[in-house]
Amino acid sequence: MPLKTLLTTGAAVYACLMTQLISAETLTVVITNVSESKGTIMLQVLAGEAEFKGDATPIASVMQRASEGEMSFTTTSLPAGEYAVRIMHDLNANGDLDANFVGMPTEPWAFSNNAAGNFGPPKWEDVKFQLEGSVTQSLNLNR
Amino acid sequence: MRRRQFTQLIAGLSAAAGLPAVAGVGNPSWAQQFKSALADRPWLLGYRTVQQPRFAADAEVSGSWPKDLTGTFYRNGPAQHEIGDYRYRHWFAGDGMLQAYRVGADGVNHQAALIETYKVQAERRAGRALYPGFASTPPDPAPVTSPDAVNVANISVLHHHGKLLALWEAGSPWEMDPEDLSTRGAYAFSPEMRGVPFSAHPRIEPDGTLWNFGYLSSAKLLVLWHVDKNGKLVKAGKVKADPISMVHDFVVTRRHLVLMVPPLHYSPDGAASSFLDAHKWRPDDPTRLLVVDKNNFDNHFWVELPSQWVFHYGNGWEDDNGVIHFDAARAGDPMAMIDSFREVMRGNLTPSGGSHHHEYRIDTRTRKVAEAPMFGMNLETEFPSVDPRVSGQRNRRLTMMSSNTLTPPVHGHLNEVSHFDYDSGARAVYRYPDTEIPEEHIYVADPSRAAETDGWVIGTAFDWKTDQTLLNVFDARALADGPLATARLPYGLPLGLHGRFVHG
Repeated sequence: MPLKTLLTTGAAVYACLMTQLISAETLTVVITNVSESKGTIMLQVLAGEAEFKGDATPIASVMQRASEGEMSFTTTSLPAGEYAVRIMHDLNANGDLDANFVGMPTEPWAFSNNAAGNFGPPKWEDVKFQLEGSVTQSLNLNR
Repeated sequence: MRRRQFTQLIAGLSAAAGLPAVAGVGNPSWAQQFKSALADRPWLLGYRTVQQPRFAADAEVSGSWPKDLTGTFYRNGPAQHEIGDYRYRHWFAGDGMLQAYRVGADGVNHQAALIETYKVQAERRAGRALYPGFASTPPDPAPVTSPDAVNVANISVLHHHGKLLALWEAGSPWEMDPEDLSTRGAYAFSPEMRGVPFSAHPRIEPDGTLWNFGYLSSAKLLVLWHVDKNGKLVKAGKVKADPISMVHDFVVTRRHLVLMVPPLHYSPDGAASSFLDAHKWRPDDPTRLLVVDKNNFDNHFWVELPSQWVFHYGNGWEDDNGVIHFDAARAGDPMAMIDSFREVMRGNLTPSGGSHHHEYRIDTRTRKVAEAPMFGMNLETEFPSVDPRVSGQRNRRLTMMSSNTLTPPVHGHLNEVSHFDYDSGARAVYRYPDTEIPEEHIYVADPSRAAETDGWVIGTAFDWKTDQTLLNVFDARALADGPLATARLPYGLPLGLHGRFVHG
């Protein structure tokens, strides 16, 4: 997603997240290890495998200035259901997850459940979780 | 964030890690089996784990150390083979320890330090083995998020543009402090090359130009590196290799790079318990050789030879007719790696067909390739090397480790150092006593004198009777006379792999 679109969407969703809509469901994502206060944290909530595979727009996206240490995001605007979370730390704020010469990420990233595939990307089965009531995903960024 | 790209990048990362998700079942008895076997085979001390992260001592020197031979002999090798009661199940899996023998007028001083890789640090924090190793996976493993997460930096060492780098073959070089051997961390030649595999056998031309390769198994990619004498990346390239294999070393000539891709096919089927076990040996398939134009990595071709396995090449050069010549320690199959180097970790001696020295020719005009044995079939060889001043040019001498299969040593390892003269066809040889297991020996030039002859051969050996590691120096013109001098450490260290001498 181009940076400008993401900024717009992100701002809208962020506003939405802050609205504290009345809902029984609360999703909290805690990022435990932001390495430095540089660049931005980009977070996507994915409702289903199509969004995970990039065939559909994520149900929610948010972008926030990175702050070293722990960062936390909460939403009460999602209906109960099956979701996944994907995060990147865009250190140079260029809107992309930078990769090296052979396509390996060179910026920190994480998936819900701290899933990380060994023989390919993590599968939807590994990243999905059920949102019902209050759910907290405590995630570590990899790099 | 571009979502599709993100997904693809993660796919690329995982492919690069090349390690299966299936965890092996922990078998703590490997440590116990090894301990029991030590009683019967005391030479197995060469495969014990180090119990401390640092060693330092002055060596006791006997004989006459050449006064012109001053500098540092750096060596690397797997040394930490156990974490808690979990013993790694392959010699190549051990966490690397870098050593420095500083030799000069004041004698020989030795230092060694465990390389503080991400893996070593994470496993120390966790107090247990966390990551899949070369040939086994500990119980309840952590996910492999990048090749460098499991980089053990344990194969060789490079001293280039003032940097001291410990090398693995599937990830980043690890930068070390040349003075105190403290670990500085993963090294990148440029931001775009961060984390890109850099093999343990870069070749350096006499003018300092560095060439290397790397491989990414799941992506079926060979990566090519061209770095100038100041450490600046000149260019990098990618060549698809399908099927792909492990590739350990390569050949550099005046105009070409040559890589051999043997039929040890990377074919993970989901049931493999380790990176090694994700490979299948296909002896009916050919060994493929990739010949690449040094000036343009996109300009390359493949030729084929019967199935074979090569870890190491001595040297390569190219004649005026466009024929590439090189030599290699050639085995019929990789069973030493698949079987012997695994079983020795639980104390089993499982002989496998050794390697014999072959010479190869590739005619770059007709694209014909041929090979022929250089010595008799009773001579096994490994660790070939030449005077660094003739790297990539025609060499007249070849230093290597060897063994006569008719008179094998009790410990089953190569037990000789040889210096071969291409002009006369004579091979000078020194046989180590059976109480010592020699490691790689290399030719060290006397910078002020003639190449290939007026220098020394140096190398280490493990004396398993006294549990001491030795550094020997030979006159290259009189190798058969035995060491000119021996520097004996007050301790023994696990058997290692490759070294490099830095004058000064």
